[in-house]
Amino acid sequence: MTALYINDEEVTVTPGTSILEACRENGAEVPYFCYHPELSVAANCRMCLVEIEGWNKPAASCCTPVAEGMKVRTQTEALEKDREMMMEYLLIHHPLDCPVCDQGGACKLQDYAVEHGASHGRYAEMKRAVVDHDLGPFVSTCMTRCIHCTRCVRFADEVAGTGDMGVLDRGDHMRIDGIVEDCLSSELSGNLSDICPVGALLDKPSHDVSRPWEVTRHKSTCTQCPQGCDITIESRGDEVIRIRPEKDGMEPWICDRGRYVYDAFRSEQRILEPKVRESGGLVAASWDDAIGRAVELMKGKRVGIVFSPDWSVEGLTSIRLLNDAVFEGAKVAFDLHRRDMRSFAFEEGLAMTTQQIEDSGQVVILGSDLRQRLPVLMQRLRKRINAGKPVSRIGAMNYRTNTEPTKDSLIRPRDWSAVIAFAMQQVSGLGKTAAGMDAWMAGVEGRHEAGKLLADALMDDSCALLVGEEIRSHEDAAALIYGLDLLMRACGHAEAGKDGRNLISEGMNPQLLSSVFGDVRTSAGELFDAASNGELDVLLLIGSDPQGDGLFSVQAKQAMDKVPLVQVGAISGQISEYAEVQLPAAAYSEVEGSFVNMEGRIRVAENPLSSLGAERPLWKVMMRLIQDMGGDIPAVNLDELRAHVIRFAPQMEHAWRSSDELMITAARNNTATHASSTKAPSRSLDLISRYSMYREGAWVRASDLLSEAGCLHALDDVLVHPNTLAGAEGERVVRTSSGEQSVHVGSREDVVPGVLFVAKRGVAGDLSSESEVDFVGGAA
Amino acid sequence: MSLIKRALKTWLLLELLRGMALTGKYLFKKKITVEYPEERTPLSPRFRGLHALRRYENGEERCIACKLCEVVCPALAILIESEERDDGTRRTTRYDIDMSKCIFCGFCQEACPVDAIVETQEFEYATETRANLYYTKDMLLDVGKRYESQIAANIAVDVPRKG
Repeated sequence: MTALYINDEEVTVTPGTSILEACRENGAEVPYFCYHPELSVAANCRMCLVEIEGWNKPAASCCTPVAEGMKVRTQTEALEKDREMMMEYLLIHHPLDCPVCDQGGACKLQDYAVEHGASHGRYAEMKRAVVDHDLGPFVSTCMTRCIHCTRCVRFADEVAGTGDMGVLDRGDHMRIDGIVEDCLSSELSGNLSDICPVGALLDKPSHDVSRPWEVTRHKSTCTQCPQGCDITIESRGDEVIRIRPEKDGMEPWICDRGRYVYDAFRSEQRILEPKVRESGGLVAASWDDAIGRAVELMKGKRVGIVFSPDWSVEGLTSIRLLNDAVFEGAKVAFDLHRRDMRSFAFEEGLAMTTQQIEDSGQVVILGSDLRQRLPVLMQRLRKRINAGKPVSRIGAMNYRTNTEPTKDSLIRPRDWSAVIAFAMQQVSGLGKTAAGMDAWMAGVEGRHEAGKLLADALMDDSCALLVGEEIRSHEDAAALIYGLDLLMRACGHAEAGKDGRNLISEGMNPQLLSSVFGDVRTSAGELFDAASNGELDVLLLIGSDPQGDGLFSVQAKQAMDKVPLVQVGAISGQISEYAEVQLPAAAYSEVEGSFVNMEGRIRVAENPLSSLGAERPLWKVMMRLIQDMGGDIPAVNLDELRAHVIRFAPQMEHAWRSSDELMITAARNNTATHASSTKAPSRSLDLISRYSMYREGAWVRASDLLSEAGCLHALDDVLVHPNTLAGAEGERVVRTSSGEQSVHVGSREDVVPGVLFVAKRGVAGDLSSESEVDFVGGAA
Repeated sequence: MSLIKRALKTWLLLELLRGMALTGKYLFKKKITVEYPEERTPLSPRFRGLHALRRYENGEERCIACKLCEVVCPALAILIESEERDDGTRRTTRYDIDMSKCIFCGFCQEACPVDAIVETQEFEYATETRANLYYTKDMLLDVGKRYESQIAANIAVDVPRKG
C-alpha cells in the first residue's frame, strides 16, 4: 500500500492507483471530463489538475500515479485560476444552448461552469459549428457541443469493440467522426449517451421529452436475458422515459435490448385489461367475467401449463402452487429451447460470477452467439481478450464478437460428441481421467480435432466453460453435457470454488426453476404434441410466446388448432390470436418481487412503477384462479408466498431478511449419466436457428425501436456456406421431417459447411423447429 | 392648572373642531380616489398580472420547452410536455398554467431564457368557475397576441434597469 497526503490528510491506496482515483476513493473533489473508471486514461481535458508539493507545475491527476509520501492539494487559489482558464477554453466553441439541450440539469460542463468557470465569457469572435452524424436509431448527436474528451471513441474501441468513432483533424478543426455513419453496429450503443459528459451524444428515443429533475427512479432488474442486469427505470408519472444501468450496479453497461424495450410497455401488444373472445375477436371484459370464462374452460379438464421463466420468483412459485392446488399431475413446461428433457449433469445457470469468468485462466465458449445472447458478458470477455487473456470458441458459425477470439473452431452440431471424445482422449493421454469417461468415449465413433482446443484450455489451472444454446438445444444435450461434466471433473474444474461448469440458461431464474419445477417439468414440444393428440383439453399459457419464439412453433400451432388457450401475461405476442381468454399480469417493471439471474444472484425489486391498467401481479392472478377453481388459497400476501418459495427452494431463505447480496447455486446431478446417442443423422444438413437480440421475445417484437434496429442488423433469412449451397443463392426448396418448403437462402463464409443457419427465426417460420434438413435438388 | 386646561378643552370641543378642520381641508382639496373601473391607476412595467406566451415577429413560438419555469414555480402551477418537432427543434406540446394555484411571484418570467413566458399588466380575468382559470397553451398564446405591443414596450423599458 502507498501512503500519501491529500489536502494534508494521510490516506493509503493500492500502488499504481492514479491520484484522481485516490482522491475519488477518499472523497476529495477533483473535477474531470475525460476520465471514466471503465475506460483507458486519455488525459486530454486537463480539468483534473492538482498541485503536488515539490512539482513546479500542476499535474493531471488522472494520469499521474501515486507515490509514497506524495503531498497532493486539490483546492488552491492557483488551481482555481487554472480551472477557470480550462473552462474558458472548453466553452469557447460551446454553443451554450443549455435550455434546449437534453443534458441540461445532468451535465458536467454545466456544473463545472457554475463551480469553476468565470461569470462571463470574453470570446467575441465567431464560434464554429460542426456537422451532426446519423448514428442509428438510438443515439442522436449535436457535435457542436462536443468538448473532445474522446470518451465515446475509447468506448467504441475498448468496450463495444466496433471502433465506429474516431477523432479527425486538430485544434479548432478537431471533430469526432463516425467512420461507419449509418449505424453503430454495437449492441451496446445506447451507453454512448450515458458516457458523454456533455450534450453531444444524446438518447434519441427520449430526445426533447423530459428533464433529469422530473423523473422518478425505480430500481429494477432487467429480465430480457438471463444476465439480469441491475437497471434504473426513469419514469415520469407512469410513463417510462429511459432505462439506464444502475449506478454502482454490478455492470457499468446495459445492452440496447434491455435499454430500449420500454416502448413495448405501452404498446398495443400490452395486455392491460381482461379480455374474452366473442364472435372471433377479443373484447374487454370485467375480471369476474374473464376469470369465470377461464374457470369454465379449465374446471375438471386435463390442463397443460406453459410459462415463461422470466416472471419474478414469487410469480413462478405461485404457478407451482396453482399446479399443486387445482391441476395436480398437469403437464408443465417452460423452456422453449430444450429438446432433451433427461436431467443434465450440470443444470442451467452459471457456477461462476461474471467477474470470476473474466478472471479465470481460460474461457471456452461452446456453441453460443454470446454477443447476441449475453451482450454484457461478451463485453467482459472482450475486455479479457484485449488484456491478452485467452478466449476460445467452438461453434457452428463465426459469430461476430467485435473482437476476435484467441482460438476459434467451426464444427457441425452433429460433431459435438466427436469433439468431446477427442478432448477426452487428449486429457486421458495426459493422465487425467474420471470414472465413466472411458465408457463415454467408447460410445462415440468419430473424433473431431476441434477437441484439441477444448483439451488445451482444460489443462489450465482454472477454466470456465460457457455452454451455449447449440448444445443445450441439441437432441442429445444430456449426453453431451455429461461428457463435458466428465471432462471438467477429470481436469479438476468441478470442485467447489473452482467449478467452471456454466450452462447458459434460456431465461431468468434458472436455479430456482430447477428446484421449484424440477419434478414436474416436461418438454414444451411433448406438451404441445400431447395437446394435438387429444391427451390435453386446454392449454394455460403464462407469459410466453411459443408461436413467435423457440423451437416448437409448429407443434404449438398444431396444438392451438386442437385445444382452447387461456393466456395470462403482460404482453400478448403472436400466440394471442388463439387465446380464448386473456388475463393481464403485471410486467417486470411493475411488480414488487425478486429475481435470480444466471449467476444465481438474488435481487429484490421494492419500488415498482404504478400499473397502467387493470393488470395485477402474477401471484394474485394465480391465487384468484385457485380460489375460483375451488381450491384453498395457499397465500394471501407476499410474506406467505415467500414462505412457500423457501419451502421449494431453501436457498432463498435469507433473500428477504438480509440486505447482503445473496447467491444461490445451480443444481448438479451426479446421477445423470447419459451415453451419447448412436443414432445416425438422417439428413445432410444440420439446422441451427439463431437467437437475435432484436427479434427474440414478445416484448422485443412489440418494441418499435428494437424492431427498427433489428432491420439494420439483419442478415439473410437463411444462410449456408457457399460450398454447401452448390448453386445460386435465392429461393431453394428444403426437405424436413414434416415436408418440403421453399426458403430464401443466402451464402456466407462464416457458417461451417454442412449447416443451414436460420438467421431470422420468425421469417423462416416453421423451419426453426427442425434440427436436420436436406436441400432438394443438389446439395453438397 | 392642568385640570382647568383639560376642562376648557373638553367643554369648548377643541379636539372635535380640530378634527373637523382637517376634514374640511380635504373636502376642498383635489380628490385622489380613482373611480375604478371608469378610472385606472397607472401600473408599473414590472406589474405581475395574467401570464402570456409570446411569439417572435415571424410567428414562431418563443418557448423552447426548457421547463425552467416549471421547475422554479413554487406553487407547481405550470405543467409542460415537450417533443422534438419535425424540423428538429424542441417545442412544447402542452403548456398549462393553473391560475388558481399561481401566486404571481414572477419566477417563471425571471427564469425564462427566451422571454417567452411573461406576466402582463392584465388583471381583469375573473371567471365564474375555477375551471376557467386553467389556462392552456392556446389561451396563453392568445393572451400574448393581445398584449404583445404592451409586453414588448414594458420589456424595453425594463432592460436598462436590469442592467
